[in-house]
Amino acid sequence: MKAKKYLPFIPVFVAYLALFLIGETVSGIWQLIAMLAFYCALGQAFNLFMGMTGYVDFGYVAFLGVGTYGMAITISKLYSHGLGFGLIAIGFALAIVMSVLLSLAVGAVALRLRGAYFAIATIGVNEGFRYLIEGAKLWNGSEGIIFSGPLRMAFGRQTATVLTTFAADVFVFIIALAAAFITLVYMRGKVGYALTALREDEDAAKVMGINVTKYKIIAFITSAALAGLLGASAWALKLTYVYPPDVFEITYTVEAIIIVLLGGAGTLLGPIVGGLVYGLSKYLLAIILPGFQLLIFAPVIIFIIVTFPEGLVGFVKLKTRGTWLENYIV
Amino acid sequence: MLKVDKLVSGYGPMQVLWEPSLNVKKGTITSVLGPNGAGKSTLLWTIFGTVKPWSGKIYFEGRDITFTPPHEKVNMGMTLVPEGKHLFKGMTVYENLIMGAYRKEAEEKLQENLELVYTLFPILKERAQQKAGSLSGGQQQMVTIARALMTNPKFIMLDEPSQGLAPKIVLEVFETIVKLKEEVGLTILLVEQNAEASFDAADYIYVMHEGHFKAEGRPEDIRKSKEVREAYLGI
Repeated sequence: MKAKKYLPFIPVFVAYLALFLIGETVSGIWQLIAMLAFYCALGQAFNLFMGMTGYVDFGYVAFLGVGTYGMAITISKLYSHGLGFGLIAIGFALAIVMSVLLSLAVGAVALRLRGAYFAIATIGVNEGFRYLIEGAKLWNGSEGIIFSGPLRMAFGRQTATVLTTFAADVFVFIIALAAAFITLVYMRGKVGYALTALREDEDAAKVMGINVTKYKIIAFITSAALAGLLGASAWALKLTYVYPPDVFEITYTVEAIIIVLLGGAGTLLGPIVGGLVYGLSKYLLAIILPGFQLLIFAPVIIFIIVTFPEGLVGFVKLKTRGTWLENYIV
Repeated sequence: MLKVDKLVSGYGPMQVLWEPSLNVKKGTITSVLGPNGAGKSTLLWTIFGTVKPWSGKIYFEGRDITFTPPHEKVNMGMTLVPEGKHLFKGMTVYENLIMGAYRKEAEEKLQENLELVYTLFPILKERAQQKAGSLSGGQQQMVTIARALMTNPKFIMLDEPSQGLAPKIVLEVFETIVKLKEEVGLTILLVEQNAEASFDAADYIYVMHEGHFKAEGRPEDIRKSKEVREAYLGI
């Protein structure tokens, strides 16, 4: 019985494994696969909050941004201490700490607001944080942090290259899997129960005795911590620099929203499907019709959302209800 | 069971409640009557804690609960049936009821309470697998009340249970409310615009107008007093 609860994790695992193996075997495709994995992971982490609570956080990219800084600061300050791979571990830990602290600060204020007011309140978070870093000359201000040198000095040229070109992407896969697993654990436990109630009707959730603030904060913090990890690997480790306008770019938030809506908000497989559809179409459109991709993309997204208001996975989920597949498609 | 002392609250800068005080005795139905905009719903949501009290005191079974958060009040055996249709429309009736049994104690008594609810509302047993949103207005109201019962309460507040229902259905809903008191032993505080229905069901009545209680008494007395009827109830 208990194991059955986690059956839906099988298709998730298979999907990511397949994606990884394709990237490993087909030559010259790894960068595309890494991009797709990033979008899937972004959707997976974002879905944990938006999909499960119904709240849209327009400042989400800020969590990735501070996570990127967490890794950058760690490597640029501690590289000479001979910590070995402990350096990377400390970087991830600091990324989590920083994104969680930011999520607590934002959540304490914004989570008191509902619906559209929450979205508006969060919209300024990333811009505000970017200008704070630039204006207050925090962490090198607008110059950002470049740490490819320190990384090479800490690990040697060869290991550093493996870290940036391969390990950083593998971490993204791991983060995506972790995000999916946590989503499933939440869904199948008391947290999911409470979040479903509050997503459907917050007042009704309250009269049932659900501490809505507590569960909103749990989902918010978890989602932010995963975003921090994602920034630390996909941006900091991979690119070996951090530059404020890049890591606080609102486009990534919008992409996260699109991915979650395409795949199906609040579903487990949705972010994978959404991430793949979004990433692939963005990639292909940029090749076929460079410059016009956004013009074509907008109507495609409108079409999908009008045709499948529950998202692609949400649609399939409804269709497979009552069949053996319902144990897997969640 | 519940005692409210000079409660003040409102939204933003707008004060809605102007120090009403009220007392609900154990095992009774107390009804707050008044026209639209009198502050009846605000009174309930302030007692429940979703709207924060500005001043005044609220006591439940002798304990000061003025600033106790809503979920803890549910743990103490208090709940609120919201106005209109705060249901989970996309879920089945059964799923709605199960959602009500969120608390630990409620979960333990799930089967017992489910049977109770099905005895009180046989129609919900028939419709258990139907989407809640597809039910009629009266049945949806019953689901909302039933879901509240699943939290295993001893005291429930109802926000305009008759709203938007046909007169015949209103009668049914109020019969159920009386049953909740007599057969289940609940204490009930309800707010209503529908005065006639309340007069028959309630043991004690408060008349509310612009955030104040203008009159209180047993239904017979309120029904008789001409001023109250003309001024506030329009009947």
